[in-house]
This record gives sequence, C-alpha cells and structure tokens, in this order.
Amino acid sequence: MPIEVVLLFAWMLVIAFLAFIACTFEDLESDMGSQSNPNSQVQLAAQVGQVNRFFNKAISGEPLSNAMYCVTAGTIAWLLLRQFEPLVPGEEWKAAVLAIPIGVLAATMINMIFSATSHCGRTAAQKRFQQPIYLDVLYGHLVPIGAHAFMTTFCITCIAYIQSNIGTLSGNPALNHPFALPLLGFIWGITVGAIGSSTGDVHYGAEREFQDRPFGEGKRVVYHGKITRYAECGVRTQKDIAGFCLKFGAPCTGMTFGLIILFESWRSMVGMQLGGFLPALPAFTATGDMAAIFGIVLGLLIVAALMVGNLVFVKWVRKKYGPFVGV
Amino acid sequence: MEPVLMILIVGCVVIGGLLASLGAHLLPVGGAPAAMGTATGIATGTVQIMLGAVMTGLFTAASVATFSDSLLLVSLSGAVGATVMMCVVMFMANVLYAFGCGIVPVSGRVDVDPITKEPQAPYRTPQTDGHGVPNVVYVSGTIGGFLAGFAGALMYYALLNYAHFSAGLAAIVALSIFVANAILAAYNIRGTIEGFHDPKFKRLPKALISSFAVSLLCGIVVLLAATILGGAL
Repeated sequence: MPIEVVLLFAWMLVIAFLAFIACTFEDLESDMGSQSNPNSQVQLAAQVGQVNRFFNKAISGEPLSNAMYCVTAGTIAWLLLRQFEPLVPGEEWKAAVLAIPIGVLAATMINMIFSATSHCGRTAAQKRFQQPIYLDVLYGHLVPIGAHAFMTTFCITCIAYIQSNIGTLSGNPALNHPFALPLLGFIWGITVGAIGSSTGDVHYGAEREFQDRPFGEGKRVVYHGKITRYAECGVRTQKDIAGFCLKFGAPCTGMTFGLIILFESWRSMVGMQLGGFLPALPAFTATGDMAAIFGIVLGLLIVAALMVGNLVFVKWVRKKYGPFVGV
Repeated sequence: MEPVLMILIVGCVVIGGLLASLGAHLLPVGGAPAAMGTATGIATGTVQIMLGAVMTGLFTAASVATFSDSLLLVSLSGAVGATVMMCVVMFMANVLYAFGCGIVPVSGRVDVDPITKEPQAPYRTPQTDGHGVPNVVYVSGTIGGFLAGFAGALMYYALLNYAHFSAGLAAIVALSIFVANAILAAYNIRGTIEGFHDPKFKRLPKALISSFAVSLLCGIVVLLAATILGGAL
C-alpha cells in the first residue's frame, strides 16, 4: 500500500482519538459548570425551596456555545497561521504549534467570562428565593471550567487543522478538505455540543442530580427541582459531580463522538480505496463516483448494524430489568 | 443565468427546506425532560440535534463533492452521514440510560410498540412520559436523520454547482436555510416529539406550508445573490 494512503488512515485515527478526548471533556465541562438540559433542575431548585451550592451557568445550548468557542479559537488560529507560516517555510507545523494554543486560550477566556457573568446573573435573579451567590463557588469553579473548555476547544481546533490540511500532511494536497479551518471548527463545535448535550446529560440529569431518589426509574415530575444537595462529604458542589460523571457518562459521550468521526472518516476513505480512487485521485470520473458509492454502501451497512444492535440491546434490557415494580 | 438553472436552484432549496421540516418532525426530541428520564427521546432541542446531524452529513458531502459531480451521490453521502450520527447517538443514549441510570427504554405515547409489538405501559415509570429510546423511536429517528442529511447536502450541492458559490459560502447558506426550517418545525413541535407515531406528527402539514413559504423566499434571495453578484461569491 502506498505511504500516502497509510498516512491518510493514520491521520484518520488521530482525528478519532482527538474526538474522543474532545467530547469527554465537553461533557465534563457542561457538568462542571452545570450547563444544558439538567441545569433546568438547578434553576428550579431555589424556586422550590432547595437552596444549593451548584454552579449555575446556562450560557446557551451546548452546541451553540461550543460552536462559538471553536470558531473563535479557529479564527484566531487561522489568522496567526497566515502570519507565522511564511516565517517557517517547509516546516509549517511549527506555526500550528504556536497558533492553535493561542487561539484556544482566547476562546477559553471568553468562556470563563461568560461563565462568571452567567452564574452571577442567574443566581442574583433568584434573590427572592433566598439563594445566595457563594463567592467560593464562583471562584472555585472558574478555573476547572476553563481547563475543561480548553481541552475541548483545543482538540476540536486540532481536528479542524488536521482535516483542512490532511492532504498536505499525508503527501497529497488535493485531499485537503474544501472548508477552511474556522468553518470546520464551527461544524465540529456544533456536533460536539449536540452529542454532549444529548448523550452526556443523561448521566448527570437522570442519575447524579437525583441520587437520593430510587435507582432504576425515570425521574418523576414531583421530584423536579428537588435535587440532591449533599455530597459524600459535606455540601455538594459541581466538583463532586464532574468526578462522578467521569466514571461513566463522560467516556460514553466521548466514545459517541469518537465513533461518529471514526465511522464517517473510515467509510469515506475505505470507499475511496475500494473504488480505486486512492492514490491517483481521478476526480469527476467514474472512479470518483464509484468511491462515493462504496462510501454510501458502507455507511448504510453501519446504520443497519447499529439498528440491529439497538433492537437486540433494547430487548435484552427489557428482559433483564423487567417491568416497573415500584409504586 | 439560464432559466433552467434558476428553476433548479429554487427547486433544490424548496425541496431541501420541505425535507428538513419533515426530518425535524421525525427526530425523537425529548428536550430537558429527557435528560431526567421524564420523557422519551434524545435529551436536547430539535434544532440542536438536527444541526449536529446535518453538519456531520455536510462534512462528508463536501468531501464527496470534491471528486463526484453527481447530485444523487453527494446528497446520499450527506444523508448517510447524518443517519450514522443519529444512530450512534441514539444507541449510546440507550447504553447510558440502561447502565448509568438503570432505566428501560419505553415509549410514552403508545402502549404497544407499532413495529416490534412489544408492550410499553408495564415498563413505564408513573408520572413520566416514557424514557430512553425504544425501537419505534429509533427507527423514526433514523429516517429523520436520513431526510435531514439529504436536505442539507442537496441544498449544498445546488448552491455549489448551480449558483456557483464557493464551498464555504455554500455550506453556510445551506445551513442557514436549514436552521430557518428547523426552527419553524421546532415551533410546531412545541417541546417534545417521539416520531411518526406521536399524535403531534399530525401537525406536519402546517409546518410544511410555512416551510415552503420560507424556503421559496430563501431560494429567491439565493437566486438574486447568484445573479447580481455572479462569480464574485
């Protein structure tokens, strides 16, 4: 197999690995700052008399806020790349090593500013319910939020950089993705947020927020707002929650995004290989069409396998857990 | 610009908009209640999960559009990409519900699964509207993801090859038209929906009419931009 093709597959695996890390930290960041859907319960808590020490940041839905951070990081990195790359001809990766972390740092600072204002604003609005703004909660969570956000944005910006240069990196510039770095950051920012919101929230919202309620049932409407306020030791803050969700929810969420990126890149590249498109790249010919057809067929096979997998899984769970027996 | 091309651009945008609206109604959206296991579906908003799926599809479709000029193949690549995303998300959500919270996937709107005929009511927690992603919801979400991905990629292809936008601009414009339609659908859904078996699905015709109007307007604006600015985009 030609070295270009091997390198292409190797970069694909690097991207999938980065995606796993990105989404794991994305979920932890939303748990650490209590963003997204389960935060509705933190908002409700003070209103039903449950004064708490949770960090309450609801900047926006996770997809949009992550898209904003990734686009900010991507745009600054892209601008810096434009400046730095001519300084190191032939060794452009050196420019990326400097440009990407600076871009991500700027995005992280924006995140921390938004988190602080969002927490203070929302908690101040709950004054009538006797909910105080605990300053130690505010100060103590900002750095962990920033650290988790840095990891997410850094991985996504790296993915965007690799994808927009994947052809150059593997020795065949025609394979570079047509989208620019900031647009790829936007795409994966939205996607990583959508996945973190739809998958990762479940472990925080349905389990950790209601840990003193019966395990193994959907959380009833009467429980809403009555969140668990005490930790294994002392009063619970978000730091206890991130540690708990790291054990199962966050890696599962990371795996979801990692699998999506892996399946998507894998089917495209295997399709190109089977269609005879690599490494000569005869675009807009019958070979190009064959590569697309193979990619589509492989994608449909993955979909079929997942559908059967879900059918078997749901059947197994229903048999194993049985009907509802509580009151 | 030739009249045939003009009709093609507007036609693709309108068809894309209508498919986006239909796809949004098929996706199982549980919103905030789903994150607590109080409602069936995916624990996020309609627009958010749709955007996530379509973005994934569009990424692959844009790659395919660099080496294939077939409208069908590019659109299908986008559709399959969005479907893969939806399938993985729904499956992993079930894994989290089952192993993280000990919750069985069950529909809140029907007592018997219309596809597998499995009973739903005995497994449901009282005072909830179902939880998890049961099989009928999974199938509906898969179809919804396919239609939404197809719509996004179709609009992208039309803007790229018929209106001669650059790749980046075509993606942004396609997504913008898509978001407009998704938000219209979200207004129509009002909160949560399970899929084609949900009573709320009957509201679809109204959403399609408004989608048609919005997409037609978007198509005309795209046409004006392409005609007046020509190859400057």
